[in-house]
Amino acid sequence: MNRTSRRLLDLAPFLLFVTVLAIFGVQSPKFLESGNLVNIVVQASSTGIVAVGMTFVLLTAGVDLSVGAIMFVAAAVAGKMALAGWPLPIILPVMVAVALMFSACNAFFVTKVRVAAFIVTLATLFIGRGLGLRITETRAMNLPDSFLELGSARWLGVPLPALLFGGVLLVAHLVLTRTPFGRQVFAIGHDVEMAKKAGIRTGRVLAAVYLISGLCAAFAAMVSLGQLGAVSPKFGEQKEFAAIAAAVLGGTSLFGGRGNVFPGTLLGALLIQAIENGLVVVNADPYLYPMITSVVIFISVWLESLRNRTR
Amino acid sequence: MQTISGPRFAQLFLAQLFTALAVCLLAGCGKSEAPPTAPAAPGKVKTVGVAFETLQTEYWIAGFEAIKAELKKRDITMLEAVADSDASRQLQQVKNFITRGVDGIILVPKDAKTCIPMIRAANEAKIPIVLFNRPADKTDAQFTAVVADNPKLTQETVTYMIEQARKTGTKHKAMVVLGDLGDINAIGRRDGFEAAVKGNESFIEVVARVPSEWNQEKAQAGVANALQANPDISFIFTSSDFLLPSITSALKASGRYKKVGEPGHVILGGFDGDATAYQMLVDGYLDATGVQDVYFEAQASVQALVDRREGRPVAELYLDPGFVIHQGNLKEKAARMWGANIRK
Repeated sequence: MNRTSRRLLDLAPFLLFVTVLAIFGVQSPKFLESGNLVNIVVQASSTGIVAVGMTFVLLTAGVDLSVGAIMFVAAAVAGKMALAGWPLPIILPVMVAVALMFSACNAFFVTKVRVAAFIVTLATLFIGRGLGLRITETRAMNLPDSFLELGSARWLGVPLPALLFGGVLLVAHLVLTRTPFGRQVFAIGHDVEMAKKAGIRTGRVLAAVYLISGLCAAFAAMVSLGQLGAVSPKFGEQKEFAAIAAAVLGGTSLFGGRGNVFPGTLLGALLIQAIENGLVVVNADPYLYPMITSVVIFISVWLESLRNRTR
Repeated sequence: MQTISGPRFAQLFLAQLFTALAVCLLAGCGKSEAPPTAPAAPGKVKTVGVAFETLQTEYWIAGFEAIKAELKKRDITMLEAVADSDASRQLQQVKNFITRGVDGIILVPKDAKTCIPMIRAANEAKIPIVLFNRPADKTDAQFTAVVADNPKLTQETVTYMIEQARKTGTKHKAMVVLGDLGDINAIGRRDGFEAAVKGNESFIEVVARVPSEWNQEKAQAGVANALQANPDISFIFTSSDFLLPSITSALKASGRYKKVGEPGHVILGGFDGDATAYQMLVDGYLDATGVQDVYFEAQASVQALVDRREGRPVAELYLDPGFVIHQGNLKEKAARMWGANIRK
């Protein structure tokens, strides 16, 4: 494979994104209107933020299946507090604390007890969903309008969810590319034994990535609550799969050691939302949604495997 | 993945096995069963197994409670199980009921196909089985289904909404929020919506069909996308009231959340009759909703089991006609609306 082909494969996530924009843009001019493009970013924010945290975990060759459940518990606690009259400045830090508690559990079992991340986070997924249902008593909670105002607020004309997504993305990008911690994350994903021999304290780094993932889940829960203004028993359900899909679509390897949040995970999250948005805009047959999304994911993974073969 | 090596392997394996077992136990949580009972004498129902696919919406909770109350009223012991959307787990739960010698089974299956082995297992054990609110696909296995007449009730609800649209004298752009396309009830509601719209194209143009997979976040994103692409949408039907918060948040974000009669009001209708819908009707934001009569369905399910056990003829299908509740009949019908009752 020549250099141009390799370069094209490296650009695959970006090219795929542009192709999707072009196809829907041709189908409906409304799709490319600035208002709709901003809407895509806003609607992608929650999944995008979780996907940023998930990227850290995937880079270490781990996985965090509990992010959706963490979002649910944090939102359920927030809902109860909001209905009891607590103000937002207290509720939001509590959501972060709840999420960090869960992710600290994940970190402890992965690094200290050495249980596989898949098993640990699957357990916290079930615990979280059960606990969330217990807290909500399986009732939908409609929250005060202050949450919706937060979700639709703008700062310097930029919607708050997009701003939070941008902030998380920027910090994550700097951490991964400009700090020793970021290099250690990649090193562990490449080869954990080699990383240990190189003197990296792998336990600490692994614990940190699960905490980052939990923190991102808390931020994503805030964004979703702001957009929805309600907590339902299905809040955050299957968010883990959307986050993994966004990270992988952005070029992050499931086997660790390779990937990035910018532009990779950003493009992945936007791509998923652009497809869903485009299908609504062109009033597509609802049966086509899963088929088209699956085809795009398949193409992306296929290109990823081609890229792997060239290395 | 991290590699595990050397003498710690056995210890780690045991730790993982323990955790996996804990996960399995957790996955099965939500079930509480009474002590084993001897099989009932023929002709008398003493114990009924109730297996729900999920308790994750208010409707299922209300249905579960209504069945529980109906069984208690008849002095019948209830064994309960919740499958957390896992069809193979539900099959196991039904087999457990059979082993424990129940006199009847009430089942809310995950879908129309995966329940057929469960029905067959009950048939082989000669235990009557009733499907609550979700029917099975065509099969030679014997069962009774008690279901809402989803297409008809949806058609009636949407027809009422279209009447309101006609009164405005203008053509309306419409959006329908669909449920899970693998759920036969969601399909029935979609068909009911399309049937109501057919022939009224001069008043209603459907510009967005948003699949939600019964997920509020997906629904919110889909509705926001549709409102962005078609800001002049003025008619929205949701296949379940459970998705109303998604619609109201998107309408509020676009400044379109207005009461009935106010300029710019979006004609809004739903299906189920939950507590949110009731409150929105009272507050004047919702035009109508098709109410499933959960009390009728619970009573009919238990009665079918008793009749089957006592040798009386039982139909294969009992249809809950439900009713449309709207701004015009709210006071009259609220007492039969399950959402109004759980709000109290």
